[in-house]
Amino acid sequence: MKKSLRMAIGTMVTVMMVVMLVACSSNGDGKGKDGKEQITLWFWGAPPEHQTTMKQVLVDKFNQSQDQYELVVEFRNSVDKDISVALSAGQGPDIVYGSGPSFVIPFAKANKLEPLDTYAEKYGWKDRIIESVYQSGTVDGKLYSLGNSLNTEGIFYNKKVLKDNNWEVPKTVEDLEKIMDAAMAKGLYASVTGNKGWKPVNENYTSIFLTHFAGKNTVYEALTGKRKWTDPEIVAALEKSAEWYKKGYLAGDDYTNLTFNESIQLLADERAPFFFGPSLVFQFASQSFTDDIVDNLGFIPFPTVGGSSDAPDYTLGVTATLSINASSKHKDGAAQVLDMMMTNEFMNEMTARWPGYWGVPLKDLKLETDKMSTLSKLYAQSIYDMIDGVNKGNFGYYTGVFFPPAAQQAFLDIDSVWQNQITSQKLMEKAQAEFDKDVEKGLLPPIPMPAQ
Amino acid sequence: MQMRKATNYLLIAPSLLLSLLIVLIPGLLTLLVAFTDWDGVAVSPSFIGMQNFQEIFEDRIFWKSLFNNAQWTIMFITVPVVIGLLTAILLLRRKRSRSAYQLIFLFPYVLAPATNAMLWLNIIFNPVSGVVGYLKNSLGMSITSPLSSVHTALYAVASVDIWHYWGFLTVVYLAALRQTPGDQIEAAQLEGCNSWQLFKFVYFPSIKPTFSIMLVMIIIFSFLTFDYVYLLTGGGPAHSTEMLSTYAYTFAFSAFQVGKAASVALFMSIMGLLASCLYIWLSKNDLKG
Repeated sequence: MKKSLRMAIGTMVTVMMVVMLVACSSNGDGKGKDGKEQITLWFWGAPPEHQTTMKQVLVDKFNQSQDQYELVVEFRNSVDKDISVALSAGQGPDIVYGSGPSFVIPFAKANKLEPLDTYAEKYGWKDRIIESVYQSGTVDGKLYSLGNSLNTEGIFYNKKVLKDNNWEVPKTVEDLEKIMDAAMAKGLYASVTGNKGWKPVNENYTSIFLTHFAGKNTVYEALTGKRKWTDPEIVAALEKSAEWYKKGYLAGDDYTNLTFNESIQLLADERAPFFFGPSLVFQFASQSFTDDIVDNLGFIPFPTVGGSSDAPDYTLGVTATLSINASSKHKDGAAQVLDMMMTNEFMNEMTARWPGYWGVPLKDLKLETDKMSTLSKLYAQSIYDMIDGVNKGNFGYYTGVFFPPAAQQAFLDIDSVWQNQITSQKLMEKAQAEFDKDVEKGLLPPIPMPAQ
Repeated sequence: MQMRKATNYLLIAPSLLLSLLIVLIPGLLTLLVAFTDWDGVAVSPSFIGMQNFQEIFEDRIFWKSLFNNAQWTIMFITVPVVIGLLTAILLLRRKRSRSAYQLIFLFPYVLAPATNAMLWLNIIFNPVSGVVGYLKNSLGMSITSPLSSVHTALYAVASVDIWHYWGFLTVVYLAALRQTPGDQIEAAQLEGCNSWQLFKFVYFPSIKPTFSIMLVMIIIFSFLTFDYVYLLTGGGPAHSTEMLSTYAYTFAFSAFQVGKAASVALFMSIMGLLASCLYIWLSKNDLKG
């Protein structure tokens, strides 16, 4: 080998090693390029326009509001798994985004998350946040997480489809079933939805059938150990879900082939009268119910069997939780960010541009809807109504929020009942076994009591 | 001599160290964790003996996953092997164009699984805008995506994986076939062998070591398969495409039952070990020689 070639290779290897070392070296004090302390937040891989909104409304605003910290948000498609692995290794971002209180409990118990009680007192979070949501973030009496947004199950409907077919907005489950039968007879989907790419979508339907068919008090009693999950009312609710699936009420044969995005597009395209799903779907509706047809979209809470349409029940849930990493070096700064996110100002600005994901669970919610688009107004109204209903105790339970992890997995298997792979009774026996084990491990979040 | 020995040890040290760090230690830890109730976070998991194994053996989804893995293995040691072998034999005679064909056949294999899965999900299986949607909505055919039925989903996912994999087997078999000594082929042809006899008595014995190792690798990979199943169905609908890998993944990342996930992983390793034993047994004559 020629000497010059050897030298060239040697230089290249040296440069590569230096580059690798620089790339691998971490900034030990967590300081940003302008000397500010860097606070990191990993967030799910939201669409680009929503990422821009978050940057402008949260990141830029926070960074301009003070000189000490610099907030950096990373958007990751596998955020749940990334956070689980990082936290287990004592690493991860300063602000921990989690999929719900039951996700938080194991990490809180392992001291991977910082108790937030001091900050809650300092910023008055307990007085500002809805009691039931605040309590759901506590573990063994200490606060570990804040729900970033309320989320409830409801019916998105296409007003034009209903009007063209002389169908009234349904007030009862019977109304709903009649319209779905008629829609299928006309070659429409009875409703559109699907779990393509994300099996946990099933939790929405478990939550709907438990809250609105088994009833909120029945579920409360099961969650607090006063009833078994094998209770006939709960088993019957699951049977009903299977009946709906088999009749084609849940997107017919396409349940496994549709995403929420595709489903809401089908609703906008007048291929179905309804879409049953969580209120966070408003964020997808902005892409399909565009300016000229935005007035076609309507949203109502899901009716409860034997319930009143004047006082509907709401499936109480949060879209995500926010906590502080116990290994963070900038806990005070992270708490400042959380405090900023728990305000009317933040909620208004985010909802105006990103409806569906920022229904901050504030007791004293003040939304300036006159500055909002039709879609944002509709979402804001649904959150107002939900808060009113929750404050009156008219709420059931979102399984992803209030059910412990292994039991939640059993409930996610509701599609096995739909596909005749297991009976409702057997599935609930399995759920009960997993639930008992989870409770024994202390993995059950605090359960708020609904109105009788 | 001493110096040479030291140099040899020094040279194998990096690979030994790597194997120790990323294979042996995690392997031993998995073995230990399988007998605990570790949730992946707690610092002091409890030893629970055989409870994890007992629970997974009582779970119908475990047996369903095992059966699916077995079905998957049977599909993969037959369909892509036959297609790959057949195509390789056909390409053997196309001396000029075979490079181009190999490139085309290998194309799905070099694409990322996520890309292939999205392509199939959105362009083929999509009931609104895909081929399925076109046949259903525009041509009025009574058709649904095979991914939506518990009876067809496994075959649909396997088809996509086979579509991506068979080209690789073609290239491997073709490379092996081309190593067959020319004099043996000529002699056989002079003796009046027909094509089948030529394959059976000359080509196949020549590629048998390659064929055996690929067969074992397919069996091992079949019990480890994860990507296409996770991307296309996530194990659904109703666990109809659940594999041991997706079953373990759910325990580890969704149910906070890492101990149970480790026990499933251990079971998967045993399957791999059995396949390796099969390989040793198949190649014992070669080893003796």
